[in-house]
Amino acid sequence: MKSHPVRQLAVLTLAALCAVATAICATAQTKAPTPASAKADAQAANPNFVKAIGNPNAPITMEVFGDFQCPACRGFFEGTTKQVIDDYVIPGKVYLIHRDFPLEMHPYARQAARLANAAAEFGQFEAIERALYDHQDEWSAKGNIDEVIASNFPAAQFKKFQTFETQHISEINASIERDRALGMQRNVNQTPTIYITAHGKTEALPGGGVDYKLLKSYFDYLLRQ
Amino acid sequence: MATTAIPSETSPRSAAWPGALLVMGRVALGLIFLYAAYAKLHFEGEWHLRDYHFFFAMAIDSYKMLPISAVQIMARVLPWFELALGGLLIAGVAVRWIGSITSALLLVFIGAMTRAKILGLEINCGCFGNNEKLGTATLIRDSSLLFLALAVTIGAFLIKKRQDKVSS
Repeated sequence: MKSHPVRQLAVLTLAALCAVATAICATAQTKAPTPASAKADAQAANPNFVKAIGNPNAPITMEVFGDFQCPACRGFFEGTTKQVIDDYVIPGKVYLIHRDFPLEMHPYARQAARLANAAAEFGQFEAIERALYDHQDEWSAKGNIDEVIASNFPAAQFKKFQTFETQHISEINASIERDRALGMQRNVNQTPTIYITAHGKTEALPGGGVDYKLLKSYFDYLLRQ
Repeated sequence: MATTAIPSETSPRSAAWPGALLVMGRVALGLIFLYAAYAKLHFEGEWHLRDYHFFFAMAIDSYKMLPISAVQIMARVLPWFELALGGLLIAGVAVRWIGSITSALLLVFIGAMTRAKILGLEINCGCFGNNEKLGTATLIRDSSLLFLALAVTIGAFLIKKRQDKVSS
């Protein structure tokens, strides 16, 4: 029997249609619920351990769900967050909130988050965040966080962080869990995941970090509104 | 007077169904492209006609392939280009050429996605909206779309060739 090329292609098209339909069904995405006001969440989720920098009344709030042991988070902090702090947080245009989202694959992420929460209680969140990311390579292999980070602070002050962490371990763990729960509620599935709140609306940025120039152009657009 | 039916190689009905399937294929592909454009312009429950390009630029930039200026241009243009391709495919305008462009575009997408997978980049696909993680499933889906686009393109060329043969 002679087969017709056009007919063969038609069969091929039909097969491709079926494959596409199946693949689309398999990868159908679930819509993330629109989060409520980030500032309200910041107060509700962290009544004591506020890991934030800047003016809470700034026109833009930037929330970063991060993991101190995650290399992408370090890349985002070094390449973008530091410039955001200098250009937008210090001038009072952006309020920067850190949310703990330690990933299971990083064995020392929780330990680092606990130290950061303790330091936050003494108003040293920005300093400890810088120290943790700047020295990530040094502590992430063995988990010797205290040993590596201690040199960045006066001995007496670092001792206070450690003592506070030991005495308030359950509250600190609860604070980390609240942040994690908030992330799960918002379908955070990678770090860093960034949310921007401005003009009463909260938008999720594509996960995995953002280039500073692109974020800057978005901030400038929001500030012009 | 007795009449004798002239035997033909293909009956009119069997000759029509490849064309019908081609229409189905291009309409399906067109709808998928329309949806891809829609998902880039409408997300978080509202239209983002004024700021869609910021979010899409961030998604494109995560592939680490283009300079920021090219990323920004691509982010502004691509959703509208996809919208135009989808509309033209559905309308059946210049199917051979639009099919070829669509196939080429999908080939570029799949190349970029494969490269990102090889490099181990933990990024979002950016294909249908901004919050879909790039993974094996997204690669298989886009490869299926390329398969469909190629089938539509080759089918359109073959049908045109057959029509030219019949008319000559």
